[in-house]
Amino acid sequence: MATTTATITLASTDLLSDEIALTSSATLTGAGNSTGILNTSGLSRKTTTSASEYTLFAAADYTDDKSHKLYVKNIETNAALFFEIQIAGVVVGRLYAGDWALIPWSADTTSTNCDVDITPSTSASHTIEYMLFVD
Amino acid sequence: MATTATFTLTSADIAGDPVNVSKTATCTKAGATTDLDQTTGLNRVHLRSTVNKVLLGANAEGNDLAAKVYIINKATDPSLYVTVTINAQTIGKLYAGDWMFIPWSQTDEAADIEVAASNWTASTGDIPVEYALFHEDTDFLTNA
Repeated sequence: MATTTATITLASTDLLSDEIALTSSATLTGAGNSTGILNTSGLSRKTTTSASEYTLFAAADYTDDKSHKLYVKNIETNAALFFEIQIAGVVVGRLYAGDWALIPWSADTTSTNCDVDITPSTSASHTIEYMLFVD
Repeated sequence: MATTATFTLTSADIAGDPVNVSKTATCTKAGATTDLDQTTGLNRVHLRSTVNKVLLGANAEGNDLAAKVYIINKATDPSLYVTVTINAQTIGKLYAGDWMFIPWSQTDEAADIEVAASNWTASTGDIPVEYALFHEDTDFLTNA
């Protein structure tokens, strides 16, 4: 059994009048059990040169209703360059330069095709890195 | 007003070589280097319903402004999960101890983030969920 630990630390000394210091760690496990997730896509990188939509992961390639986790980060440094993330055609949000996200993914194919798609903000070169942990 | 979000991922054995990923992002406004300056703070709710409940209601004035959402399932029973929905579309499930950190585009007023304790029963006990929103100010309050 593999042990994969994802930790988030949210910190700010000046957003509020009191300091924010929050840390949470999660061991990535299978759906409804304590078995460590065994499979990963590895860290991948994609550079886009079109403002078209790209499919990062197709739900049909994975078992639905599992405990998949998707890590994505926009490695651009120009603040104006973002990727819009969609799941099943629904906009989740925009990942701006330097931003990252960890998203649980159901990979549902029963009620809708729950693909993970990205759309760059422009046709300029945009690079994103991503990694899927597969239940 | 810098707020930083640091992600660290480690595994010694999920692949033939160790996996170590670390990334720190400073939460900024859309398309700018100005820091996000609003937050809901850390909230806690106890879910006891299999029906979707609105955790964060979308504000159309927040459309395409920067917002970051943190949600964690604080249950300890690995079978208890929370289904996360955006704009009525299931995104994924947070099992006990799982957390998520996502950007949130409030594309319209229907883009609520909802959660459901999908396998809750009276005998499972409540599922505690904590969440926080970091976002840009809109003119929502000043126009009120």
